[in-house]
Amino acid sequence: MSMNEMMGGHIVNRFNDEMSQLHGLVLKLSELARSQMHDAVKTLDDEDCEAAQVVIERDKKLNDLDIEADDEIIRLIAKRQPMAKDLRDIIAVGKIVSDLERIGDQARWVARMTIHFYDGDKLPPNHHLLDDIPRMAEMVDEMIIKAMGAFENLDLEQALDVIQLNLELENEFKSALRRLSTYLMDDARHVGHVTEVVLGLRAIERAGGYAKNIAGYVVFLVKGTDVRHESLEQVAAEVRAEAW
Amino acid sequence: MDTATAVDEMGGDMSQTVATEGAFDHEKASQAFVGKVGEIAVDNPRMTARKVNVYYGEKHAIQDVNLDIGKNEVISMIGPSGCGKSTFLRCLNRMNDTIDICRVAGEIKLDGQDVYDKKLDVVPLRAQVGMVFQKPNPFPKSIYDNIAYGPKIHGLVSNKADLDEVVESSLRRAGLWSEVKDYLDQPGTGLSGGQQQRLCIARTIAVSPEVILMDEPCSALDPIATAKIEELIDELRENYTIAIVTHSMQQAARVSQRTAYFHLGKLIEVGNTDDIFTNPSHKLTEDYITGRFG
Repeated sequence: MSMNEMMGGHIVNRFNDEMSQLHGLVLKLSELARSQMHDAVKTLDDEDCEAAQVVIERDKKLNDLDIEADDEIIRLIAKRQPMAKDLRDIIAVGKIVSDLERIGDQARWVARMTIHFYDGDKLPPNHHLLDDIPRMAEMVDEMIIKAMGAFENLDLEQALDVIQLNLELENEFKSALRRLSTYLMDDARHVGHVTEVVLGLRAIERAGGYAKNIAGYVVFLVKGTDVRHESLEQVAAEVRAEAW
Repeated sequence: MDTATAVDEMGGDMSQTVATEGAFDHEKASQAFVGKVGEIAVDNPRMTARKVNVYYGEKHAIQDVNLDIGKNEVISMIGPSGCGKSTFLRCLNRMNDTIDICRVAGEIKLDGQDVYDKKLDVVPLRAQVGMVFQKPNPFPKSIYDNIAYGPKIHGLVSNKADLDEVVESSLRRAGLWSEVKDYLDQPGTGLSGGQQQRLCIARTIAVSPEVILMDEPCSALDPIATAKIEELIDELRENYTIAIVTHSMQQAARVSQRTAYFHLGKLIEVGNTDDIFTNPSHKLTEDYITGRFG
């Protein structure tokens, strides 16, 4: 069942329209957050500081959409006093837009890394130090796509996939840290670059965490339970539990 | 097996029973509904209703309703027009006796005593289970006499000093004393709508009820008067059990600890108000409170 099918059908058609518009805003935010992360990682690969600056400046668009969504949410709550799944929907949307905006902040961090590495006459990093960044960024992209798919289709199995992927992302992050430490052991002069890369990886890992949060909000929207701090097994049990 | 257990064990799932193609048919869903309604029993019941059926002539207005009303709780009854919530409320103090074609079957008890016992005098019953109506209906008498009338006819006071005390304490509990203390000899009908409704609540309180039934007590009031009544309901809960029928979902959410949702004469769901308004279990409840039908 799609979001529109489940959330529509109000006696007040205007409310249906307003909720649809709000959902549209969330999807727009998610596309922008994805492209920000994609473009930020590309600037690193292309060693393109100008493009990195564009990514940094474009973050304002995400901030503006975040504020626009919050304004709309406040207006909807005041005007419609939503209950039950409508209330959960609006609360979940409020949290989703915040986390999408934060994904954008992490993309900005990656873009800054490009400028730190390639702006001016500084010695660029060994390319092997950056190997994990595109791989982890791809994982995060898949997580955002799935999380938004779960939101659009209220698909709890897809939400579970995202939580599973986040565990894999965290393992990937740990492996990347181990790999980076071997470079440091080989040559301590890598320390500056390694520190930057660790911060970049950390930003991508956090973006994945936000995507996982979004999956949790979808579970909250559909089931009414807060699973943010529960293990994958606990969430799976909650998702598959029959009501009553 | 007691009735509560029996109801729980009926099982069934309404959403599966009416797996219709296309739009959800709320009427069919309600007619087909046989299943769990939530926790009908409470630890400390003041009133218990079991297998209550009400008929208006041929019309089956209430079907097999089982529900406890706990001590010192406010329970709200919600549902679309004609769902039976007011009919059920009126069963609790036998107000339906006044309707010739109305027949009530089942069991309703107040503190273990059968309310429908043929030997029971309904006059003291209606003092124990008082009622506040949609439209304020003060007597065409002074404010003082509106309150004093009940205690006098029920013989609750023996002298004027006691009566004065009952009048004052009732008006104080209803939050009206400071507004009317200097005008007790003025007609009750001269008060504003909100004040009149609080006067009616004070009149109900004056005969020391155990349960107060309220049938849409704020529907004729402005938002400020409504807020005062809601505040009063919250205060009265300390001493009384209150059952309120309301069309305002926000009011039910604000004033009650438990909420019961009725649809086409059936109790569909009852539960903690917080759960009902954030995460109801039944689609009928969900669709009603979110404004998808009703």
